[in-house]
Amino acid sequence: MLIDHPLLGTRDAAEFIYLGDVSLIDRPDWQAKDAMQQFHDYGYLRDNPAGAHQELWYHEQGDRSWLVVTRDTLTHEISKVELARDVARARGRDK
Amino acid sequence: MAEFSLISEPPLAGVEFEFGGIKVHAPENLAIVSIALPLGGEADAEKAINAAFGEALPDPGRSVVCKDGSRLVRLSPDQAFVMFTHETPDAEPFIEQRLKGKAYTTDQTDVWVGLVVEGSQSRAALERICPIDLHDAAFAIDDAARTVMEHLGVLIIRTGANAFLLLSASSSADSFLHAIQLSARNVS
Amino acid sequence: MTQVNRIEGGYVDRRYQCTFHFNGKPMVGHKGDTLASALLANGQTLVGRSFKYHRPRGIFTAGSEEPNALVELREGAHQEPNTRATMVELFDGLKAKSQNHRGSLEHDLLAVNDLLSPFLSAGFYYKTFMWPKAFWEKLYEPVIRAAAGLGRLSMKEDPDSYDKGFLHCDLLVIGSGPAGLISALTAARAGARVILADEDFRFGGRLNSETYALGGMACGSWAEQAVSELNSMDNVRLMSRTTIYGAYDHGIYGALERKTDHLASAEGRPRQVLWRIYSRRAILAAGSTERPIAFPDNDRPGVMLSGAVRSYVNRFGVTPGQKISIFTNNDDGWRTASDLVAKGIDVNAIIDSRDIATVTQLDGVRVHMNTHVVGTIGRKALGAIKLSDGAIYPTNCLAVSGGWNPNVHLTCHQRGRPQWRDDLCAFVPGGELPVGMAVAGSANGSMTLAAAMAEAQEKTLAQLEALGISSKIEEVPQAEDEPRECAAFWHVKNDKKRAWVDLQNDVTVKDIKLANTEGFRSVELLKRYTTLGMATDQGKTSNIAGLAILAEESGKTIPEVGTTIFRPPYTPVPIGALAGRSRGKDFRPYRLTPSHRWASENGASFVNVGNWLRAEWYTKPGEKGWRDSVDREAKMTRESVGICDVTTLGKIDIQGRDAGEFLNRVYSNTFATLPVGKVRYGLMLREDGICYDDGTTARLDENHYVMTTTTANAVLVFRRLEFARQCLWPNLDVHLISTTDGWAQFAVAGPNSRALLRKVVDEKHDISNEAFPFMGCGRITVCGGTPARLFRISFSGELAYEIAVPARYGNSMMAVLNEAGAEFGAIPYGTEALGVMRIEKGHFTGNELTGQTTAHNVGLGKMVSQKKECIGNVLSQRPEMIREDAERLMGFRPVNRSEKLIAGSHFITKGDPTDMDHDQGWMTSVAHSPNLGHSIGLGFIKRGHERMGEVVRAVSPVHGKEMDVEIVSAHFLDPEGERLRG
Repeated sequence: MLIDHPLLGTRDAAEFIYLGDVSLIDRPDWQAKDAMQQFHDYGYLRDNPAGAHQELWYHEQGDRSWLVVTRDTLTHEISKVELARDVARARGRDK
Repeated sequence: MAEFSLISEPPLAGVEFEFGGIKVHAPENLAIVSIALPLGGEADAEKAINAAFGEALPDPGRSVVCKDGSRLVRLSPDQAFVMFTHETPDAEPFIEQRLKGKAYTTDQTDVWVGLVVEGSQSRAALERICPIDLHDAAFAIDDAARTVMEHLGVLIIRTGANAFLLLSASSSADSFLHAIQLSARNVS
Repeated sequence: MTQVNRIEGGYVDRRYQCTFHFNGKPMVGHKGDTLASALLANGQTLVGRSFKYHRPRGIFTAGSEEPNALVELREGAHQEPNTRATMVELFDGLKAKSQNHRGSLEHDLLAVNDLLSPFLSAGFYYKTFMWPKAFWEKLYEPVIRAAAGLGRLSMKEDPDSYDKGFLHCDLLVIGSGPAGLISALTAARAGARVILADEDFRFGGRLNSETYALGGMACGSWAEQAVSELNSMDNVRLMSRTTIYGAYDHGIYGALERKTDHLASAEGRPRQVLWRIYSRRAILAAGSTERPIAFPDNDRPGVMLSGAVRSYVNRFGVTPGQKISIFTNNDDGWRTASDLVAKGIDVNAIIDSRDIATVTQLDGVRVHMNTHVVGTIGRKALGAIKLSDGAIYPTNCLAVSGGWNPNVHLTCHQRGRPQWRDDLCAFVPGGELPVGMAVAGSANGSMTLAAAMAEAQEKTLAQLEALGISSKIEEVPQAEDEPRECAAFWHVKNDKKRAWVDLQNDVTVKDIKLANTEGFRSVELLKRYTTLGMATDQGKTSNIAGLAILAEESGKTIPEVGTTIFRPPYTPVPIGALAGRSRGKDFRPYRLTPSHRWASENGASFVNVGNWLRAEWYTKPGEKGWRDSVDREAKMTRESVGICDVTTLGKIDIQGRDAGEFLNRVYSNTFATLPVGKVRYGLMLREDGICYDDGTTARLDENHYVMTTTTANAVLVFRRLEFARQCLWPNLDVHLISTTDGWAQFAVAGPNSRALLRKVVDEKHDISNEAFPFMGCGRITVCGGTPARLFRISFSGELAYEIAVPARYGNSMMAVLNEAGAEFGAIPYGTEALGVMRIEKGHFTGNELTGQTTAHNVGLGKMVSQKKECIGNVLSQRPEMIREDAERLMGFRPVNRSEKLIAGSHFITKGDPTDMDHDQGWMTSVAHSPNLGHSIGLGFIKRGHERMGEVVRAVSPVHGKEMDVEIVSAHFLDPEGERLRG
């Protein structure tokens, strides 16, 4: 597979490490009342869609950026690649 | 006068060979210092870099050769390397001073070993190990890319029409040298 | 033997004569021949024996689809089995042997199998070798194994080398026949970066084998001209002898280039190169493959595909026989007749299954329309054929044409399903093609020359447009739109005699009928039950006929029956090519510590730790085994001072205004409060609360920390820190860079460590206990000004330091430390002594942190702060993970001190039965402690902290041993830690 890195252009997927669903960005608030339940869901519950899937890839043999790759799990078509840092900020991750 | 003295022995020091149209050598006294741009302080850091080297920090994937001969390589939005010839093991304080505290610096000199691969057949040799497209249209002079060759992380920079500088981890210098040597031999 | 069948013409170079040997017999051919064409030239029609029945077999095709003519090529370690003679380029000195016979090729003892054929039908394994059960392993399997398979391996190490590589292009053109050449020319003239790949050593595809006029010249000449134009262009890479064997995601293709297979010797260069081709677009112009018609005894040497006969005559200047007949169901068979007649070769008869008017009148050729071949005469060579109308023709070559199948294989590698076209009686590419691929020419069912070329140009222009490359439309050279009518006719019906469908696997019409009768009606089951379409040719000539017969038998249409799925590789790829350079010591890269050379000069033996090679111990003269060395090293370190290269521990430089806060969040304990000039031990958890990694982190400046990780987890921890930095807390100012390889780091441990370092560290630095206490750190200089870092940390439990110098000085530093330490009896120690000392001190490592271990288990539950945000602290408090009766890390010693503890033993309370219900825990690490003089161990045992002094049984059913052990503190030595603070 090829991943079109937003800054560096098309790179072989062999340069990357796959992690999993983009929801791993949404780490719960440790002080929430139901933090235990939230962390449990965060850690163990994932969707496994047959179709478009937003997933985290790490450019380990490259610029060390984490990316959010939107990939169709049926066809491997990659429709979007974003810097995970931008996605995290957009999802409200702060300090 | 100290009782003991240390000898400097970088892993590939003095390596030089030629196969057919491919010349390979290890650059002497190549110092490398990483520069990290502070969050929120990017503009100040870039200004300091420009003041120190007389060149603007290039975009990720690009490098620029400065007037004093040092090369600035942008690796990612907040990280760059400056590479220059420097013999003593104080490359990092040397750069830190020039940047006046506007960026975070880390000595990378001994983290890496370098090999220059040049000659008319250099691309043919690199084709055997490098997944990056090195064609003129795809990888111009001063372009830089971190990638993987023979399971080794490699930073490749095109330094001339038929010249490339490759950097890889110093601990695996033997394997890196073997990969380059074999590639050169296999196409010569 | 002379070249009895050599005729005029073709593209062999008669100036170069090649002498070669087949089964030891010397023969001659020419440059430009294949082994197959040279064998035919020499009149060698019998070239092998069939898989199951050991029937005599001859050359059947002129290409990579060859099912019969498989040979063992070359000799000794270079011997390669199952090589297709039709693909082997002749060279001077070539040696080949026929295969799959016991005794000589002419008198194969296993030919008896043919007489036993009634018992060897499809599925005979499953039916025949069932009883008695005991016979299977001892008798049936060895016998079957001895008889099975085709060629033999040399059983020697492959002496050849292989390589890999990466190529990039705008347009990959697969196949260099008329469609491929037009496509490549169109794209190359427009300035695109083009790769043209062909499995043949000569570009041109069928143009080399045909006599069409093209662009006002012979089609072969036109091909030569086109190739020479492409060759002159910088933007074109011509790759002959290169098979595109697989179509992968996003325009990536696998290619095998045979670099030196056509030479007598590779001369040390890679024999083959496995390329990964990154194409933006691709044109598949792989052509088509002719298929036979099944008729009784159709496997005799001399029965050959009709297009192959044309190849041998037109391209190679060889006639496969002196009296040739043709059996066809389509117009293309007639082309063979007219080409042969034009060459003056004796053609007996054309037998056409169709009930139509004679297609062409040819002088001296008798025509039998609406007629079949119903039998052959001859055993080791074809002698005559019998026709359904009773006629018998003496003939030594029968050219058979059952129509042509588009080579759709690569279109199916991503589950594309081909579609049936009734007019062609063949499958054509259908459904979704691999991304970026277009198919042109006969591979797409455009069977005539004019149609193939027009389509190739049109498809190429569309590909260029998609790439944004402008091009002007040029005229396609004038070509024939020759008749290509074909009728569906698959096999001649006959209930008595065998008619072969798959020559390579000896699958007959009868076998397919049997499979259908026995219920194996799915095409996938048919393949596995009968072996139709398996092995080296993957049924290239047999699949469609097999499907057609299954369809007929099951009362379905061919598209209803469907096809099996084509997967890569298109043709076989040697394992050696897939391995490439990754053999022996080059299997993976290795990493050396900075003091590696010193260590190897001083008696070290090395152990692989991940990719690292680390000194495991240093043998001194007189030491008889590793234990002598290790005991000495561990003892001397505790008595005086030892030196160990610990560079392999991961080092991560962490800088930024928020670096302290960041460390707070990735470690379970607090770091923001660590003073500058101090080191702290840190424990990292996974988000699920399980222990992940540990190490020390030093604060060099307000905004500058240096983290160490375990050797094994260096890469993983870095990855995870980057995840935390970019994805979890993207607005912290924190920056990471690895410096693992940059600093040579040495543990200097033992009561004399300070005295030793005093001799090396420059005088201006005060390293007294007061000025540089336990867990202190700082930048210093050594040996007269060399920058260094000093950390007062201890893994051994002794007064100890780690000292780091730039890696370039590492080897020298090791020598200096040993030299400076000589007066104290300093010794270098390796990973084994390191391990012994850490067990003596109760430090856990990978043996204990198994991915199931909690901080609570290792007694560090209190270290997991609940007062700050950090990875893993929330889930670490799940009730099951902080159970009171959980296993705790403890020390163990044998009650009988002379006994040796066994790692992996399980603990059972005295008096309890030995079973899992009574399992109390297990031993994780054991060592002989030279300082205590007996075996010691670490392990986890339930409520261990409350059971000090209890004696339990340590049971190892694997070793069949058990012993009584006493539960003690994990800190065997100096439990109060006085030494390391001294």
